[in-house]
Amino acid sequence: MLSTRTSTSRTLDTAAGEGGCARFAVPTTPQPPSPATASVGSYQLALQQLTDSALPTGAFAHSLGFETYVDAGVVADEAGFGAWLSMFISQSLTYSDGLAVRFLYEGWDVLDLDALLSAQLLPRQVREASIKMGGRLLEIGAEVFPSDALELYRDLVTSGAAAGHQPLAFAVVARSLGVPQQEALAAYLFATVTSLTQNAVRAIPLGQNAGQRVLRKAHDDVAAATERIARLTPDDFGAVSPGLEISQMRHERQRARMFMS
Amino acid sequence: MGELGLVVAERAGRSFAAHQYHRGALRVLRPHYLDDSGQVCYVVVNPGGAYLGADLFLIDVEVGDSASLLLTTQSATKIYRTPGSFAEQQMHVRLGEGARLELMPDQLIAYREASYRQRTCVTLKPSSSLVMAEVVTPGWSPDGTAFRYEEVRLRSEMWVDAAEGDRQLLALDNLLIRPPSGDVSGMGFMEGYSHVGSLVVVDARVDQALADELNACAAEHDARTGISLTRAVAGTTGLVLRSLSNSTEDLNSLLSACNSLLRKRWYRQEPLDLRKH
Repeated sequence: MLSTRTSTSRTLDTAAGEGGCARFAVPTTPQPPSPATASVGSYQLALQQLTDSALPTGAFAHSLGFETYVDAGVVADEAGFGAWLSMFISQSLTYSDGLAVRFLYEGWDVLDLDALLSAQLLPRQVREASIKMGGRLLEIGAEVFPSDALELYRDLVTSGAAAGHQPLAFAVVARSLGVPQQEALAAYLFATVTSLTQNAVRAIPLGQNAGQRVLRKAHDDVAAATERIARLTPDDFGAVSPGLEISQMRHERQRARMFMS
Repeated sequence: MGELGLVVAERAGRSFAAHQYHRGALRVLRPHYLDDSGQVCYVVVNPGGAYLGADLFLIDVEVGDSASLLLTTQSATKIYRTPGSFAEQQMHVRLGEGARLELMPDQLIAYREASYRQRTCVTLKPSSSLVMAEVVTPGWSPDGTAFRYEEVRLRSEMWVDAAEGDRQLLALDNLLIRPPSGDVSGMGFMEGYSHVGSLVVVDARVDQALADELNACAAEHDARTGISLTRAVAGTTGLVLRSLSNSTEDLNSLLSACNSLLRKRWYRQEPLDLRKH
């Protein structure tokens, strides 16, 4: 089992090397529709594993600010959380994490992007959340989806040159697996949205079905965000929404907390 | 258009302009000394009264080793209509060893159909001290509606000269308010408030205890405030305070109370009172 996994990873890794991202996604010759196993894209299952809410990155411990709104009674039901989530996707998730994923795919230096995120995530708990989950993702990635690019980023983190942020760890792995940029971006955004919604289901609490309805409604916001991210400029990186940021900061001083952020 | 350059140096405990120049619609008034600390105060004046479309203002400030500068403005920065264009201010600041800058401009008012970009880039040493405040009003249109401007973009970068040839980004504060792109007054953005204020402090003496004290100080004001520490670089740390309120006066009094605490604690200076001079 282990050897199979290792050899699969190597194949993916080679294919995904410099500029080779599209090799599996775009076959050189038109292929007829083929039965199940043969048509499962090379990265499909890997991407599912990577974005599964069961991936043990510790996302269950972070509200990224919504707990402050829950505590204040501003977010108290399905509609309230849906509105918060929609705002979160179009603001912080777009301008920080989303844009970082895009820039990494476009070849920006991972060290530069890492420094930008550390400098821009001003609320301490949100910065620490990104680094904590990023660190776990780097560890898991090294075991199940190893690549040269991932090894390089891990080395930078180990040596203290980089902090190791979640969107960058994700983008490095996804890129090395040959996941196309837009697909990786949408998958990352939706994975974050899914974790937050599951956390809201526990914390507010909401019914399980209500959580699913919120997620379904978030599809449009995620799609809009991926389109928007493609049009942003480097100057837009890290643009903050003051209210959300203040709430993320105030969470540090909230008395009773379920979440670390 | 306008350009302003100011180099402040220190001699025998007293700071003074070792070099200054201006061009176009920006200049400074003659220097003040508000107390006996040796800190020099310069007031930036825009004789044109406002920023218009395609206006570019360049401000270059250097505070030399051990020197101390208080830089403020004579009146609010007003941005009028900038159709199809934007007004821009670029400010570059370099702080030397043990140098101090207190940057306390009046509020920013962007009127209907105004776009404004402000980029501030500060490079400092681990031993430098920076305190920087900013207040943005909602602006208004002739019919009294708020937030009718196109875009206000305030981007500040704080870089630390950690070692020779090793310059690291300590903090990036990027405030982007674009009313036409959606409801900026609601949840997550302005939370129903009209004014936003920020205070950025970078100093080796910044720590969690200070953040807690400033938080307690801010809590006495009629505003919704958040405060957090930045990452640490080469022994220095930043602190960012962000606050929402419904008036310039509320925010000014909050920011000034926080700054007074720092002035007293670190320099045994009285609270800043620019009006009495």
